[in-house]
Amino acid sequence: MMKRRDMIPLTALGAVGAYAATRRVKHRVIPDRPSPVAVMKAGTYEADLTGQLARGIAECGLDVRGKKVLLKPNLVEFDAATCINTDARVVAAAVEVFERMGASEVLIGEGPGHRRDTWDLAEQAGYRSIIPNFDRRFTDLNRDDVALVKSFIDGEDMFFSTTVLRADLIVSLAKMKTHHWAGATLSMKNFFGLVPGSVYGWPKNQLHFFGIDESIIALHRVFGSKSFAIVDGIIGMEGNGPIQGSPKPVGVLVMGRDLVAVDSTCCRIMGLIPEKLSYLTNSSYGNLTTDGIQQRGEQVIQVTQSFQVLPAFRHLLAS
Amino acid sequence: MDGSALSSRRDFLRQTQNADGGWGYFPGKRSWLEPTVYAMLALQEDKAATKGFELIQSWSLPAGGWRTSAEVSEPNWTSALCLTAYVARDIRDEAFERGLARVLGTVGAEGSFAMEITQFLNPAIVEFDNRVQGWPWRPNNASWVEPTVHSVIALKKAAKLPGGSRHLLSIRARIGSAERMLMNRRCDDGGWNYGNSRVWSRVLPSYPETTGIALLGLQNRSSKELEPSLITAEKYWRETQSPLAKAWLTIALRNLGARIEPTAEPVTIRPSQDILVAALQCLGEPDGGHHFLRTDGVPA
Repeated sequence: MMKRRDMIPLTALGAVGAYAATRRVKHRVIPDRPSPVAVMKAGTYEADLTGQLARGIAECGLDVRGKKVLLKPNLVEFDAATCINTDARVVAAAVEVFERMGASEVLIGEGPGHRRDTWDLAEQAGYRSIIPNFDRRFTDLNRDDVALVKSFIDGEDMFFSTTVLRADLIVSLAKMKTHHWAGATLSMKNFFGLVPGSVYGWPKNQLHFFGIDESIIALHRVFGSKSFAIVDGIIGMEGNGPIQGSPKPVGVLVMGRDLVAVDSTCCRIMGLIPEKLSYLTNSSYGNLTTDGIQQRGEQVIQVTQSFQVLPAFRHLLAS
Repeated sequence: MDGSALSSRRDFLRQTQNADGGWGYFPGKRSWLEPTVYAMLALQEDKAATKGFELIQSWSLPAGGWRTSAEVSEPNWTSALCLTAYVARDIRDEAFERGLARVLGTVGAEGSFAMEITQFLNPAIVEFDNRVQGWPWRPNNASWVEPTVHSVIALKKAAKLPGGSRHLLSIRARIGSAERMLMNRRCDDGGWNYGNSRVWSRVLPSYPETTGIALLGLQNRSSKELEPSLITAEKYWRETQSPLAKAWLTIALRNLGARIEPTAEPVTIRPSQDILVAALQCLGEPDGGHHFLRTDGVPA
């Protein structure tokens, strides 16, 4: 028999559920114009990544002259047997391209969710040996100085790294992967690494308590307007991502200024239905549907690879 | 690390102390509680340590606990580190008592209705015993390995203080639950990661750094219980390239009585000039202060 004591959390849970339903954005702001998304072929990490990135970025009309650019790769864990992280060669190519385009500064920052020794992770993943001047460019976002962002989610304030807040442009250099909680982790989910572990822990459990989808949406609302996305889909990860999945060669780099448009394009490439991902459909702004996306470079259908997913996410599969 | 290496690391800590007496995670950054506590412990009787401790004292909050950093006024998992710092300085004042009460009153969300029902509806998401609680990184979050260990160490030290018996019953209960939680979260390979040994029925691997930290929280368990973990920890100690992991493993293994072979590694401060790592490396030395994190069992 349920005791009165048990009714309190039950009621609270109901209230939370009802509130969560109302706080979701019902009317996503759709941009006036279609969002350009460039899908550039790159069969291997030895391909001309700099050239493909430069062409893709130009297709999207991004101007970084005089801007302080922060590259935010997906650096999670290192396992030589698989492909968890944004490949160091993609990050190195991005550094070169943004410098050539006239950025005043190109920095790199990441705050992994589980591992506390970010510098060791960067070493293992080859970042320190492959990316020019890595030590000078890199900030461990988990242990940086912080400043408050008001009303991040549910009226709660949240601290973020000052390196993130001072950047003129944040480039989400994500990896194309399935995710055992969120379904897929792409440029928007990659922003979990902007949250400082020194305040919120390893893992950043507060985001789970806010709700993973809700946190992705809030991060996009706060940082999306000064962001650009580049998703490393040269070799993605399928199955039990984002750490224990299997490598999935796709051979593409996907990029654009509208992160919702980029992530929904990546979903289509992965054989997933973006309209079934809550954080995409409930995001505050961006183009989700194909008629709102101006495809540049390769056609999606030409590069689509069906990703395997965990049983809990089979409903996301397009076929 | 020989004596000169210890000395050079301590010099590095002195040189990187902020004007307010604290330390940031990296030189030139604002002060945070975590590097300040460990740098202070590493410098022991040095006047820089005293200045660091004075900053910690000034960060005590009226409602209990300590600021997390110069910028973050609310307390979190780092308040437990302050209790350990106060015991190391043999200071027991009102701030300590308020902090102790706060740490004792902070509990992981396990056992809450929301977590119960989540596990009931989908037990394969994460597989752990929802009846045992440790400490969260932040209030009202779930329990995780590292904040639990820091609180266990702090409470074991508090329990040994004269007059500690006032809280003895609650300390004993919290430590008992926390140790069960740590054992329950142990990975199949004998070590620990952040605190999930299985997700969606898949076995997760442990990490070197959290294995070292977890062993510090379990120093008073039987050697038989810890045997597989010690084997894993010693393997990690030999193999890890992470200075942070190596430091935690060294501190843990020393406190557990394992023989730590001297290494021939060069005396360098890593390129990032990581202050926390430098402080922990000092603590790992034979005379470096690892005893500050050594615990006895809770008095009966």
